[in-house]
Amino acid sequence: MITALRNSVRASVTSVVRLFQTSTPQATEKFVHKRIPAPDEGVQGEKIIDLDSALKTKQNLFPTLESDYQLYNGIPYKDLPICNIRVSHNNTIFTLTEPDGKVRIIRSCGMEGFKNTKKGTNIAAQTTGITIATKAVVQGYNTVRVRVQGLGPGRLSAVKGLQMGGLNIVSITDNTHVSWNPPRARKARRL
Amino acid sequence: MHLSLRLLSNRHPSFIARTVFVQNNDIDNACRLINRIMGKEGLLAQYRLTRYYEKPFQTRRRVNHEKCKAIYNEDMERKIQFVLRKNRHEPFPGCY
Repeated sequence: MITALRNSVRASVTSVVRLFQTSTPQATEKFVHKRIPAPDEGVQGEKIIDLDSALKTKQNLFPTLESDYQLYNGIPYKDLPICNIRVSHNNTIFTLTEPDGKVRIIRSCGMEGFKNTKKGTNIAAQTTGITIATKAVVQGYNTVRVRVQGLGPGRLSAVKGLQMGGLNIVSITDNTHVSWNPPRARKARRL
Repeated sequence: MHLSLRLLSNRHPSFIARTVFVQNNDIDNACRLINRIMGKEGLLAQYRLTRYYEKPFQTRRRVNHEKCKAIYNEDMERKIQFVLRKNRHEPFPGCY
């Protein structure tokens, strides 16, 4: 009888122990090895947006043969002024030009008053975007198409700043210089 | 100066490739869409690669790692698809 009791207690203890047993232990630390390249942070939106649903909507997302002559505020698309945004890791430069390429307004983060590292931030890009947009509106440009060059902190916020300043943005083009056989770049920095 | 200008010259017609029209003044979505497309195509990765010179030994290391990763991912996908195959008359067996 005592053994039966003991067995029953043992059984209940083991069942209790099994209740508190956790699943297989997971590695909590990231695996870092010098031979395996570290994952890069990427650009905002590089992995997130649902591409299929965006493409399935029957809107004109991409240029076609006829989209060049589509009217925006009375102006055909090919005659819209262009806002070139040159984004680098340390600065953002905006240039508003005529459709043929003749420059009208130039603004950069340094001209706003930001110095050194503060130029290479998204806040600086946004502020500069607002300033150039207000200048453009004063000079008479309301509808523009945007051309972005480069990867950097100000890539998204520059365009946002333009819109906040009052410009109507029709399209966004990416003109980043990507080459598969570029001239030899400078050596990698060892920090 | 002349050489760099020639290398950076815009020989292709503009506003055709890598262009997204903004719908309903929604530039956030347009930016994300273009980043997503470019990321998927591998353009952004290539830009980051060519920013600094990648020595041949680093190239070999990276390429081998990518090959191993691709093999692993393919096998894992096959396993997942196999495990997800089902033909049950009762969708949630054992659940009340």
